[in-house]
Amino acid sequence: MQKNITIDIADFAVTKDPGAVLVTYALGSCIAVIAYDPVVKAGGMIHYMLPLSKASPEKASRNPAMFADTGIPLLFQELYKLGCEKQRMTVKVAGGGALYDDKGMFNIGKRNYTVMRKMFWKNDIIIAAEDVGGSKSRTARLHIATGRVVIKSGREEVEL
Amino acid sequence: MITPREVLRKAKGLPTLPTAVARLAALLDDETAGAADFEKIVKPDPALTANLLRLANSAFFGARRQITSVRQAITLMGVRRVFELAASASFSRVLPSRIPGYEIDAKGFWRHSVAVAVLAEHLVKRAGRRPPEMTFTAGLLHDIGKLAIGSVLVEDSDEILSRMWAGDVSFIEAEHKVIGTDHCEVGDVMAEEWNLPVAVSWAIRWHHAPAGAPDDADVLLVDLIHISDALSHTLGFGADVGGLARTIEEDAVKRVGLSVQEVETVAGEAVDQIKEMDALLSGQRG
Repeated sequence: MQKNITIDIADFAVTKDPGAVLVTYALGSCIAVIAYDPVVKAGGMIHYMLPLSKASPEKASRNPAMFADTGIPLLFQELYKLGCEKQRMTVKVAGGGALYDDKGMFNIGKRNYTVMRKMFWKNDIIIAAEDVGGSKSRTARLHIATGRVVIKSGREEVEL
Repeated sequence: MITPREVLRKAKGLPTLPTAVARLAALLDDETAGAADFEKIVKPDPALTANLLRLANSAFFGARRQITSVRQAITLMGVRRVFELAASASFSRVLPSRIPGYEIDAKGFWRHSVAVAVLAEHLVKRAGRRPPEMTFTAGLLHDIGKLAIGSVLVEDSDEILSRMWAGDVSFIEAEHKVIGTDHCEVGDVMAEEWNLPVAVSWAIRWHHAPAGAPDDADVLLVDLIHISDALSHTLGFGADVGGLARTIEEDAVKRVGLSVQEVETVAGEAVDQIKEMDALLSGQRG
């Protein structure tokens, strides 16, 4: 039986339940990092909102999943606890959009993406696939049994 | 092509706000009205009373002590706030669970409405400005026009979405091209029919184009709703049709007196309250 686990904005989840599908809705400028280990068949997803925790350290200590710099390491630590190993993990990314015309004001999406890229580069993590940027609102799903990642925006659905 | 009034004539089946809300709104403009008059309208409606007290005691509305009666809510929070609570409590009850057009999902629509209301209150506080009276209500109701269009113009709303997704037009432009009006104009007329305060109608009417608002509109309120709407779409607070296919007016942010950085910080601060209010108000929906 398929079991949807919904990840709210500024939240994350990891699981090795083979019936589980991790899903997050309405990714605008936020980014979903989706990691999966095909050997232990475990995976996780974070839906972070802002790039750096220094904007609000107090928020970050209560809710690290709000920021890229505090949330992404937490996602990986929790996955290691499930037996996942970095070398085996496939990492995919979705989101980081912007308004159709935001006059460059809210470039949160771009900064969210840049900070994540830097962190991955420093930690030797390669992004296997991504669907980022543009003025799209996205829904991301990770099927734990297979590791399949599906991104939906509007009526379009793509597999990453 | 269709006029806003024609949309509403067709949308006869769409639920309306209970008359209690309109009667409360009328009292707001009556200088001779007192707490007892408000109480007389709220008290006979047990669901409204219960919901109003529940909201009044939530962390968001932040009463310093437990509020146990309508009279006490009015004394401690003032009549404007009590009106806002009543409007919020009522709106969540009338929101249909399914809208056939515009692919509106009630849960996402509701989260977005709450997000705009909460963000608008946070932004005005951060700017150090005196909050306009109807900030929360205007935020909550800013997109009601989409409910009407989505209810009666199912095929047209489909066409609007297709044009928008095909690219190069904003959601508002797509609405104009296909039906000759937009959800702001329709929402304005709806608010008028629901007898809501004129400040709310104007915020609904101009929330996509604050620069066009007439001089006698509450410009601060219009700007706040405009910025909060753009911000909540950017961040994905709720999944609402139209999504990111919209623009933001830079001048609105300047007029309110905020920097873009401050606007972002506010978003981070507001997220917990948005989730809290969403859960609190959604609990009332059947």
